[in-house]
Amino acid sequence: MRRSDLGEFEEIVLLAVAALAPGAYSVSVAEELENETGQVVSTGAVHAALQRLEQKGYLSSHLGEATQERGGRRKRLFTVTAYGGKILHEARSVRNSLWNRISPAELSNMGLDFSNS
Amino acid sequence: MQPFPPRWLDKLATRICAPHLREELLGDLHERYALRHRRTGARKANWFFIREVSALLRPSIMKRKPSPYRSPSAFNPEMLRNYFKIGSRVLLKNSNYSLIHVTGLSIGLWACMMVATVVIDSLSYDRQWSRKDDIYRIVSVNKMGGDLTERHNSSPSNLAPELQKMYAEVESWSSIDNQEMHFKTDPRDSYGIETSMLTADTMVSQMLDFKLLAGSLERSTQNRWSLLVTRSYAAKMFPGQNPIGRIIHEIPTFSSETAPYEITGLIEDLPYNSHLRTDVVRLKRTKIEPLINDGMIMFGINYLMLKPGTDIGAFTQKVNAWYARFTKAGERQFEFQPLKDIYLHSDFAQAQKVQANAGTIYIFAGVALLLLFIACVNFVNLSTAKAFTRVKEAGVRKILSGSRSQLVMQLLTETLLLFGISVGIAAFAYYFTLQSVESFLGHKLVLTFTSNFLMAAAAIFMFSLTALLTGLYPAWIISGFKPANTLRGILSATWGQSGLRKTLVVAQFSISIIVLLATIVVWQQLDLMEHKELGYDKNNLISIGQISWNGKAEAFKNEIQRLPGVVHSSLAQWLPTEGGGYMQREVEDPAHANRRIRVWYIAGDVDLPETMGLKLVKGRMFSNRFADAINADSLQKEGFEKFENAQMNQNSLMTASAAKILGIKQLDIPVKNAHSVPVGVVGDFHNESLYEAIKPTILLAQKSSNYGGMLIRVQQNTEPQVAAGIRNLWKQFFPDKLLVINNVEDQLLKQYEAESKLHQLFLFFSGLTMFLSALGIFGLVVQAAEQRAKEVGIRKVLGASVAGIVGLISKDFVKLVLISIVVASPLAWYALQKWLETYPYRTPINWWVFAVTGAAVLLVTIATVSFQAIRAATADPVRSLRNE
Repeated sequence: MRRSDLGEFEEIVLLAVAALAPGAYSVSVAEELENETGQVVSTGAVHAALQRLEQKGYLSSHLGEATQERGGRRKRLFTVTAYGGKILHEARSVRNSLWNRISPAELSNMGLDFSNS
Repeated sequence: MQPFPPRWLDKLATRICAPHLREELLGDLHERYALRHRRTGARKANWFFIREVSALLRPSIMKRKPSPYRSPSAFNPEMLRNYFKIGSRVLLKNSNYSLIHVTGLSIGLWACMMVATVVIDSLSYDRQWSRKDDIYRIVSVNKMGGDLTERHNSSPSNLAPELQKMYAEVESWSSIDNQEMHFKTDPRDSYGIETSMLTADTMVSQMLDFKLLAGSLERSTQNRWSLLVTRSYAAKMFPGQNPIGRIIHEIPTFSSETAPYEITGLIEDLPYNSHLRTDVVRLKRTKIEPLINDGMIMFGINYLMLKPGTDIGAFTQKVNAWYARFTKAGERQFEFQPLKDIYLHSDFAQAQKVQANAGTIYIFAGVALLLLFIACVNFVNLSTAKAFTRVKEAGVRKILSGSRSQLVMQLLTETLLLFGISVGIAAFAYYFTLQSVESFLGHKLVLTFTSNFLMAAAAIFMFSLTALLTGLYPAWIISGFKPANTLRGILSATWGQSGLRKTLVVAQFSISIIVLLATIVVWQQLDLMEHKELGYDKNNLISIGQISWNGKAEAFKNEIQRLPGVVHSSLAQWLPTEGGGYMQREVEDPAHANRRIRVWYIAGDVDLPETMGLKLVKGRMFSNRFADAINADSLQKEGFEKFENAQMNQNSLMTASAAKILGIKQLDIPVKNAHSVPVGVVGDFHNESLYEAIKPTILLAQKSSNYGGMLIRVQQNTEPQVAAGIRNLWKQFFPDKLLVINNVEDQLLKQYEAESKLHQLFLFFSGLTMFLSALGIFGLVVQAAEQRAKEVGIRKVLGASVAGIVGLISKDFVKLVLISIVVASPLAWYALQKWLETYPYRTPINWWVFAVTGAAVLLVTIATVSFQAIRAATADPVRSLRNE
């Protein structure tokens, strides 16, 4: 696996697309990320990330319906491909295995004590 | 209502976003804007929208999707070949226009190359010495009272060594003087070889990096002059022989004996482009005496070499402060003129032969640049005027998926082709006219475009740049039309009379008119200087250059007097064109107690006033019946004081202006200020060139003087016989001396060579600018007639007269030229007034000069325009209306 293929922002965008399925498009992803992180996320940045992810084959897209707010323009809806799912899973398992290897003593040192909660 | 983001931001977003992404992305932006608007209100939503738009600035969004039907790159080799093919066909098809273009451009480029050569050559003077930045000429600045100063290129001879003693900055010094000499190897030769000679101290060899080929740079041990000869001079004098140790003789003028010169060294040729241009260098014995403040101060032309990096401003201040303390008076100051400036900025040094006037060079360069400008304007004008024939072609090319860059390249290629041909012709003309320009300038040009590779490369680069800049505008215009419009034939009706083209025509004609006016005024000024009454009769007057007479002056004069054709003759210490007189004095002004005035002295024998043809105003002329003449030479030998006393009582003639400023009311009584006894007053005369105001002058008579020249008044048309007679007598009296016979009128004319050259130059350039302007307007008329052929046809069918149609076509152009006359006249008047201010005797700028110029320009315009307009007007209307 080439981890460098998937940037941090890309990974979050990919996850958001998966979470918002089947209604994931730039606006919904951006709004979702803003809600989650509390920071302003521009449409352009999300759009660029979606474009990149689609180029890499993690996403597929099709044009959806037009609404009035959009000035009669159609939206591009994204869904995660099987390959994209595999990449997401790999990224998650790497994290999980690393998390699992952290000793409880170290966790409490970092101020993260999971046993109590 | 549906909230809508600010329109300009929306437009901007549309601009930034690539077309294929616009649908989804702009939709997203609007949707989010609506969301925000609902949530936070219009203000915040607008701010957020600005952020959104700026976030669009990323390559993945801005990058346009390439068209699937791409035209080949404009620089594709196939396309390049195509440009040339189409370009040459277009040029051949419109061969008339091509000819106009090529003629105009060749002339402009040729003139530009020529002048660039002259300017570069002038700027190259004295740049090749290795210590060029450290060598300075000492210039004396004399305060003349008031703010007036007078600069001289000479300085006290002992100043330089004194400076070296006092200041560590001074590395070396030398006096360097330039002289024309005649040397001979054969004792019987009476003319010898003309040689330009520098006289300098031995230190000069280090200052001017002489390259020794043979012999030594030191002086000869023998008691005679030592000479360093340059390689080419040695080859001329002693072809194929070793010159070292040989003795050559000078043909004397001032000295009574012919002096021997020993050649001690052979050096590499010195650079021609130096104001110290020379064939041989005479090394003199360096005598260092302490600098003195009073009595007899010897002056010479002196050069200092300072240590590298010396601040010359500070050094000058230091020296002047010291010198003011030393002399206890601030009358004389010094400047240090950098070696590099001497050639172009030495107007004050009249005696320096090798020099050029920076102002003339600038005028020269300016006029040539204007000429090139006119040529380029012609090109732009004609190309844009012709554009309407090309827009259809451009439209078709565009529809066949030709890109704009291809079109621009196509049109630029045509420009480059035209420029290339013109450069070729110009270079050819340049090569063959170089020699005549050199003879016009009177000196060789060292750096030329045909001899220097670097300059040629720079020229080609500059020309390409000019071609590009010139060609870009028409190419941009022609390639910018919308194909849909051009093919339908909708071309804005005003295209034929675009504002820019009108402005350019006005500029072009204004320049021509200014140059033409300058030509007339320079000619008037030259005419004034050449023909002004000088106060003496300059016709039929011969002079013999100054020599030492060896005591045979009177006898020689008696013989001359006997020659047929000689009316008067006089031995004179002053000859016309040789300065204001042999001496000048500053005396007290009788009108203002503490002001001083200057008077000049001219001396000759008693026949001098009559020989010159001076007009008597009051009193009497000199005569042998009175003791008018004194023997100045023998008196001077006896002692300075005795001579002064004798002079105080000497009879003199004064010019009217001298009599006036000295307040002479009564003749025949000694006048203290004049140091003499005036016996007569003669009319004012110009003893110097007309660059100088008239000088109050006192004439003295001397007898049996040792040195001097001769003035001989001859009868009309007898000059050749008299000259032959003089040559014969010379051989008897002074077989080994140099005889210099001159016609005074010719010599006087030679003083105004600068103006004469300026006049020739302007005459030439005014012809060229006028021709080019006419050529440009001719091209425009041809084009206008072509474009309006149908209109003319219809008018004729409806019964318009030929005169009416000619008027119709000519009117626009005549109007433009009239505007140019109005624009150019005041500009020219102002510039010429400024130029004339430098002359004490100047021609008035009359109103008729403007009238004549205007009429001439108008005439040329009408002739050019109507030639083509009549052709258009008399053409059969059937021909122009027949085909659509």
